[in-house]
Amino acid sequence: MADGRTTWSAGAHRYAEGAGGPPEDAAERARVDRFGAAVQAYGRGLPSLGDELDGRVMAAVRARPRPLPATWWRRLAEPRPVSIRPALAAAAAVTLILASSALTALLTRAPAGSAPAAATPPDGTTGSILVRFEVRATGAQRVALAGSFNDWSDSSIVFARGSAPDQWTVTVALTPGRYQYLFVVDGNAWIPDPLAHAQVEDEFGQMNSLLVVGPRGVVRS
Amino acid sequence: MSVLRWAVLLATAVAVAPSLLAQERDVRAELAARGAPPEFVNVVAERIAAARAARMPAGPLLDKALEGWAKHVPAQRVALALEQLRARLETGRGVVVAAGMLEPTDAVVAGAAEALARGLTPEEVRELVSRAPGPEAAGAGLMVAASLHAQGLEHAASVRAVVEAYGTDLDPARLYELPSVVAGLAGQGMRMSDLARRIMQGGGLPLPPMAGGVGQSNARPGAVPIGPGANQGVGKEKRRQ
Amino acid sequence: MNSASTVPGLTGGGAAGAAPVPAPGGGGKGGRTTEDDGTIVRRVLRGDVEAFGVLVRRYREAFGRYAVASCGDADLAADAMQEACIRAYDALATCRQPDRFGAWFFRILRNQCHNQRSRHRTHVPLEKVTAAAPGRADSRLEREDLRHRVERALNHLSPEQREAFVLRHVDGRGYSEMAALLGEREDRLRMRVHRARESVRRELEELDG
Repeated sequence: MADGRTTWSAGAHRYAEGAGGPPEDAAERARVDRFGAAVQAYGRGLPSLGDELDGRVMAAVRARPRPLPATWWRRLAEPRPVSIRPALAAAAAVTLILASSALTALLTRAPAGSAPAAATPPDGTTGSILVRFEVRATGAQRVALAGSFNDWSDSSIVFARGSAPDQWTVTVALTPGRYQYLFVVDGNAWIPDPLAHAQVEDEFGQMNSLLVVGPRGVVRS
Repeated sequence: MSVLRWAVLLATAVAVAPSLLAQERDVRAELAARGAPPEFVNVVAERIAAARAARMPAGPLLDKALEGWAKHVPAQRVALALEQLRARLETGRGVVVAAGMLEPTDAVVAGAAEALARGLTPEEVRELVSRAPGPEAAGAGLMVAASLHAQGLEHAASVRAVVEAYGTDLDPARLYELPSVVAGLAGQGMRMSDLARRIMQGGGLPLPPMAGGVGQSNARPGAVPIGPGANQGVGKEKRRQ
Repeated sequence: MNSASTVPGLTGGGAAGAAPVPAPGGGGKGGRTTEDDGTIVRRVLRGDVEAFGVLVRRYREAFGRYAVASCGDADLAADAMQEACIRAYDALATCRQPDRFGAWFFRILRNQCHNQRSRHRTHVPLEKVTAAAPGRADSRLEREDLRHRVERALNHLSPEQREAFVLRHVDGRGYSEMAALLGEREDRLRMRVHRARESVRRELEELDG
């Protein structure tokens, strides 16, 4: 009986590929044939794209400018240089320094040698990974998590108080990918996560924390 | 930009599918729902519409606009950031096309722009695109290489680590494990320079095998907080572009 | 026509099988022509817009099943196909080998399918599947259940694996053709199909209990 962990023989795979005869083992042949029947049912059930699509495409094509000769296309595709106004960059740097010094009193680094964030297997329903964020924020009344995963809302993901004094934690389900985020303390102080993979510029003269979530979770140093 | 180039782009914008107009209204509705004033909304919507007309992915631009609004960044500063981001997307697209991906996916264009922004060279971006087994891997590979470099790994080693991972023909989502591998090795005391040397000597980054064999599911993106005390609001479903 | 296995059901799932690339089409009215792709592309570039309709029809027929299986949804596949056709038209002058328009177009379509999947990340079952040949109600339900199970298993593959599996086992394409379409080595494609097949069959067998 197939328990999900049986393996097809090389001959079974060749049979499935049409590169060999059926396996000698009748049970294995039956499994391969069942697989084939399922795939065939799937293929036959695929809806076709009807020819009304041709008319829609041609209506759109007729309304477009004629295809340009290759030389014109290359000119349009040329990259253009980007310049950043130096005065603006300098002002942003000063803002960052002032903000950082004012906020250090609010934060202490998580204890050295703390365990890496839980690399929790995906939850069964969506394939998301459970990622835990924690921060020590002395004197804070409210801590929220804002980032590219929630359109930078400072109200949709709120930390809960942890067991240690001034410790705050929240666990979030994230799909594998790359995320930028910050902690928002008491609604007005946007501070980085010292345990993030990296800190990157945010285009507004400040820094965002960067975390990359894999299908097996996250490890932070 | 030359008058002729503007004329051609304008003609292209006029011939745009009706669905694009609907998408621009979504941008306005989203920003307005967050309390953004009309001046801010107009500044953002105009730039996103221009990007769409030039066939640039609008997702990164809207994300950046929402970030700027959340951080109370002035409208004109947000406008500048969007223009710079759009220019990088165009540059990224040009590099990707030069690498042979003539009609790149939005994710690849966004990945190329991010990689260039984080200091990778156009040649390195071309290598990451041309060596990728497919567009999904290319998009992930670009983002991961940019992240590895942001972690302190020199960019040649960042690129090499991703290209070596391509060669194992694994699920592209597993590329996102590489920064955790680097973080773990750094946590064990390995210096970035030593790690880079090891990668360039062909050591690669170790990726433990996944248990079982089922590949990555097409999971719904978005963030959902769980656990006691977490906000009860469910994370938003990622908006459709 | 289908150049793959003669083992029933394991490749080329539909009665029509996979249209080869390039598909010469048949003679007759309604935009069908026996002209090769290169000739048609050159005609379009000289100003004969209507000739592009031949390519549209030819490659909707050749790659439509791939698009539906790749997107997991017929409407998304139609959007991807339409967008790919428009982009191909706009960029037609950059097709350096007009005689190999099919492979060039396939890459554009492939990327549009990826875009559609990225923008609409839900498990959309093929609910618009029409009933197969009339039969007893329970056998029809059995077939629908099988289709949904295969669809679910395909959803768990990486995009590259899904694509390779669909091209080989659903569209019935040979490895040399797949290599030409995807620009990849045959040996890597064989390995990818093998892994995808292992994953799908394991999941189906687990559901069998």
